[in-house]
Amino acid sequence: MSDQTVANSSGSRLVSSWGAATRSWLPAVILLLATIVIWEAVVRIFAISAFIIPAPSEIARSLVAQWGTLMQATLVTAGEILFGFLVSVVVGIAIALVIVRFDWLGRALYPLVVLFQNVPKVALAPIFILWFGYGLAPKIGLILVIAFFPVTLSMLAGMQSVDRSLLSLMNSVGASPTQILFRIRVPHSLPNLMAGTKIAATLSVIGAIVGEFAGASDGLGYVIQFASTQLDTALVFAALLLVSVLGIAFYYAAEILERIVVPWAPKFSQS
Amino acid sequence: MRVETIRAAGGRPAHIRHDDLISAKGVSVVMARQLVLQNIDLSVPKGSFVSLIGPSGCGKSTLLKVLAGLVNPTSGSVSIAGLSPVEAARKRMIGLVFQDANLLPWKNAVDNASMLLGIADKSLSRADLRARGQEMLELVGLGDSAHKRPHELSGGMRQRVAIARALALDPAVLLMDEPFGALDAITRDSMGQSLLEIWQRTGKTIVLVTHSIDEAIHLSRHVHVMGIKPGRITESLDIGLPYPRDLSVAENPEFVRLAVQLRTMLRASHQPGGAS
Repeated sequence: MSDQTVANSSGSRLVSSWGAATRSWLPAVILLLATIVIWEAVVRIFAISAFIIPAPSEIARSLVAQWGTLMQATLVTAGEILFGFLVSVVVGIAIALVIVRFDWLGRALYPLVVLFQNVPKVALAPIFILWFGYGLAPKIGLILVIAFFPVTLSMLAGMQSVDRSLLSLMNSVGASPTQILFRIRVPHSLPNLMAGTKIAATLSVIGAIVGEFAGASDGLGYVIQFASTQLDTALVFAALLLVSVLGIAFYYAAEILERIVVPWAPKFSQS
Repeated sequence: MRVETIRAAGGRPAHIRHDDLISAKGVSVVMARQLVLQNIDLSVPKGSFVSLIGPSGCGKSTLLKVLAGLVNPTSGSVSIAGLSPVEAARKRMIGLVFQDANLLPWKNAVDNASMLLGIADKSLSRADLRARGQEMLELVGLGDSAHKRPHELSGGMRQRVAIARALALDPAVLLMDEPFGALDAITRDSMGQSLLEIWQRTGKTIVLVTHSIDEAIHLSRHVHVMGIKPGRITESLDIGLPYPRDLSVAENPEFVRLAVQLRTMLRASHQPGGAS
């Protein structure tokens, strides 16, 4: 394999990935547009009441009419997600490092972490409200307990899947466990960690909305709850739409982060 | 039947021939209640090229790990220039190359080549390490690929970086466990030829584990044939073909004769042995 072919293949890969992207996006966009049109038509033809299923045009009207309120709520929720996500990633990484580096502590901690994973964490929301009040803290807490696990688990898997003969090489020159951890295991775990981080980003959105359902005076979760008590279903859908946009935005932010952190990961470098 | 050199080195540790870099005496290894290696005597003269060949399960990789200090023998002893293998490894006297290059995908070729040296010698600066890595890449013929990441390199090139990484330690001995086993035949031949040239330029002692008869004859000065159940050295063969050798050595009638002889020995080594 010469330099020339490597350069060429990455060049043509870029071009073909654009083509492939359009081809893979197009059917989804067509289906989405078709769904909206059919939805609108069905609601109008059968004259379905707006508080049961609002037409897409009704949702759009609500979105525009309540734009200021919705943007304010979106900002609040986005802040909770971002903060909660970052705390989850930091705590998730810390737990994974402790488990791998300190063997006895790891053996004590790991079963408890797995056990805790079986607690229905959504049910913790009222308790967190009781402990931390109605502000930011209970939302961060809830996001943390929901989202740290995939981070810890993926990083652990990455750190523990280092090839044995590579470890033999390190041992033969007298590398310390700390050197092996930070020079080999941690960088080796980054592709896995980034995959776990993307899951955590998605779970953070769920955590924030559940936290707001349980008790809040602001945010998209609060808007959804408030609007549904008012039977303003169009506003509920408008807020749902924004929650989805937030979720997609955070997911892609995590994906961009992945490309920055691990450009050498196998998924990016397969030719 | 044991060749005379092996017998000569089979005495007590006090009588190690001073030109033997590696000397293993009565090495047995028991793993999971299985006798993996039985009473291995092996001497590797300084500066020589020795191959271990044998069927799967003969313990040739385990023997290499014993020499590298990665596996402790259940009984028997190994000395590398008078040191235990672990001591020798700590003094950077052992360079290891495995079948998988095991390069770090997040580092480029030159940083991979100097990675182990950086861990073994903390006093070296980043620039020192780079310079040493570059020097070693040039030695293995990859001088102009220093900044490529492993995924931009072919399998043969990756294995060259792994050899450079081992050589960067400036070890006395290079222990290689089927280093070309995952490569295609053509690449394998040219890698073997390169290894010969590196050996002649650096004067390193090389112990190579292989399952290729041609590779063993092409490269080595001494070949030890290993048998199964239990893993042991059954035969030893001196390869008298003169160096420098190139790939055309395979057309030499002596090469053909040795290949036939080695094949016969290998066939016999597939039979489980008694408690000899």
